[in-house]
Amino acid sequence: MQMTISMHQLRRLGLLFLVVLITLGGTTSCKSKKKLAREQAAAEYAAKIDRATKDLTAILNDETSWTLDEKETRLATIKSWNLQDENVLALIDQVDDKLSRERAEASRMAEEERLRAEEEARRASEAAKYGSIESQFMAIAGAPDVDAANERIARTISLFASPDAPVLIIISQAGGFNDYDRPTTIGKYLDYLKDQKVYSNTIEQVKYDSNGKITELELIKK
Amino acid sequence: MRKIQIILALMIGLFTTVNVQAQDDISPERKQAIDSLALEKVRDLSKYVSIIGSKNTAWSEANRVIDRAEELFMQGAEMGVSTLAKPEVDYYKVRQYFERLMRLNYDRVEIEWFKIEYVSDLQRQPDGTYVGVITIFQKFKGYDKEGGLVYEDTTKKDITVYVKRKETQIGGRIIGFWDVLLGDMRVKETSK
Amino acid sequence: MLKNSLYRFYVKKVAFALFLLFIVLGNNSLRAQSLTVGQIDVDETALYAMTKQMSQFFSRFNNEEDQFGKKTWPSNPAYRNQEIRKERLPLLFDQQNPRTTGTLRDFFIDDLTKSDSSFLKFTGGRWYSEVSATFIFKGKEVQVILILMIEKENLGSKWVLTNIYFPTFSKMFPVTKMSDREKSFLHPMSHELDFMNIYKAFKEPEVIEYYASKAFKADYLSLFFYEVKLGNMKFKNVDKLKFHIFQIENWYFEVSYFNRSGNNSGWLISNLMYAPENEKENLLMFYQP
Repeated sequence: MQMTISMHQLRRLGLLFLVVLITLGGTTSCKSKKKLAREQAAAEYAAKIDRATKDLTAILNDETSWTLDEKETRLATIKSWNLQDENVLALIDQVDDKLSRERAEASRMAEEERLRAEEEARRASEAAKYGSIESQFMAIAGAPDVDAANERIARTISLFASPDAPVLIIISQAGGFNDYDRPTTIGKYLDYLKDQKVYSNTIEQVKYDSNGKITELELIKK
Repeated sequence: MRKIQIILALMIGLFTTVNVQAQDDISPERKQAIDSLALEKVRDLSKYVSIIGSKNTAWSEANRVIDRAEELFMQGAEMGVSTLAKPEVDYYKVRQYFERLMRLNYDRVEIEWFKIEYVSDLQRQPDGTYVGVITIFQKFKGYDKEGGLVYEDTTKKDITVYVKRKETQIGGRIIGFWDVLLGDMRVKETSK
Repeated sequence: MLKNSLYRFYVKKVAFALFLLFIVLGNNSLRAQSLTVGQIDVDETALYAMTKQMSQFFSRFNNEEDQFGKKTWPSNPAYRNQEIRKERLPLLFDQQNPRTTGTLRDFFIDDLTKSDSSFLKFTGGRWYSEVSATFIFKGKEVQVILILMIEKENLGSKWVLTNIYFPTFSKMFPVTKMSDREKSFLHPMSHELDFMNIYKAFKEPEVIEYYASKAFKADYLSLFFYEVKLGNMKFKNVDKLKFHIFQIENWYFEVSYFNRSGNNSGWLISNLMYAPENEKENLLMFYQP
């Protein structure tokens, strides 16, 4: 009788064993999950620090191909991670500094570009205005005979305040300032075009009076 | 060898060297612009000569152009003309030279210029004015009523050019300019 | 030996022709320049080849311009380039003169192109103009040679007369032998007799200069000016002009104007002489007494 454990006892043992096993086992996986989660969080944090360090360093050394906007976005993202690593915080400061300087530079260049475009537009409109004067000069130079030339001269003179309006011709700008030919008057200059039959200058500047008449003309040798 | 003997036979006096100071204080680019300006004045003159000499030019126009041509020159500038037949130089005042040109007795006149122009270096005279010489070549042909060629010559023209830096006031500001004036002109017929 | 020189002669001619062909081909690039109406459309090779001004002679001698007469600047490798100079210098000589086309010329060019100080300078002195002019002297037409040189003054320079040569003056002061002078002198004790013997000197006016110190040299320029001031010497015209150049070490050469057709015209070297510097001083005494 003591010799045999009954099936019933065996089953109860087994069950007990099972319960113990389950209980114990249950306790172990619970513990791993938390541990895993903690470990995972730590790993993620470390990875972020690593990533942030790499990106920030790359930005500082200009080793990225990102635009200024993309760099600023990246910095914002890194900041949002709220990393507390000392090294990363220092890098963030440096990159912040660098990017704000770059931003200021970009604004300045945009402004310059805008001004230059405005200047170009102004010149183009002036050239258009000068263009009509220049074509009159060319008409005088290309006149078929003396009478036609004189007619054209009379018309062109009417654009000016008087036939004595000074005409200055720049012969050179080497040395950073203007070297001029002997100053003449528009009356003489138009006769000169008639005689020489060539117009080989371009208009550099025109001065007008309040009536819209030209008071001074500056030409430059082509 | 004979030449040395002659020269040695004329020996007199002591020998002294005179050192002459170098001039140029103008940059090459500005010099080039000044050379171009001087050359332009000479070309202007050539054009005026064409107009004056042409029988098609109305008398009043020719006179107006003589005035303009005269303005290119300094006061007292003269033409020194010689030919192969007559090597002695005849002197004419500028205005005289042009008026003579206007009254030439040909029915038709052709005055043309060779493309070649040579501009010398500018040397300074004692008052600081720069002087240079520009050489051009001109071909002159005179025809009679029937269109026959009655006279032809090719002349070498050496024209003195004076360049001086001046200042004037225009519209209330000071303008610095290069005053270019032509001076004496030597006209020499070239060998055919 | 004959074949050799003949061969050299033809090689030179071919080289010259090729050089000119180069000028003609290159000439087309200048067409766009001119503005005036009435442009001649002919071959201007001869005009380009002509050394048109003394200024151009200097420029070509120094290789400071290209074959079209355009100035080259120091920044250009061709400026004063001795190799190019060696090729171009022969063209500055009168090709019709054996003295200026032979081996002497070649030695000269060799010397020039080996030295860095063989460039002519307008204001460098030691070069003179010889003007042969006609004057009316006491009613008669005479030839006078005027020697001029460039002299610095204030901001620039100008031509000045340094000497003249007029045979009539030179004849007045002939070069004489010692034996001729031996008879005409004032003895060392003449002063004790109040120089009563001095009247003898004036009895021989044609040799009055014998009574001058041995250092006496007639100043012909002063004589000339004297006659001009008195109105005895009146200018008529300039006949000829040539230049004497002593600036190059150990050499002298003369430059004259050749008014002829062809590609060897204008201002060209018409004479050349090897003149060691110490010998030159004697020659220069005539030009700059």
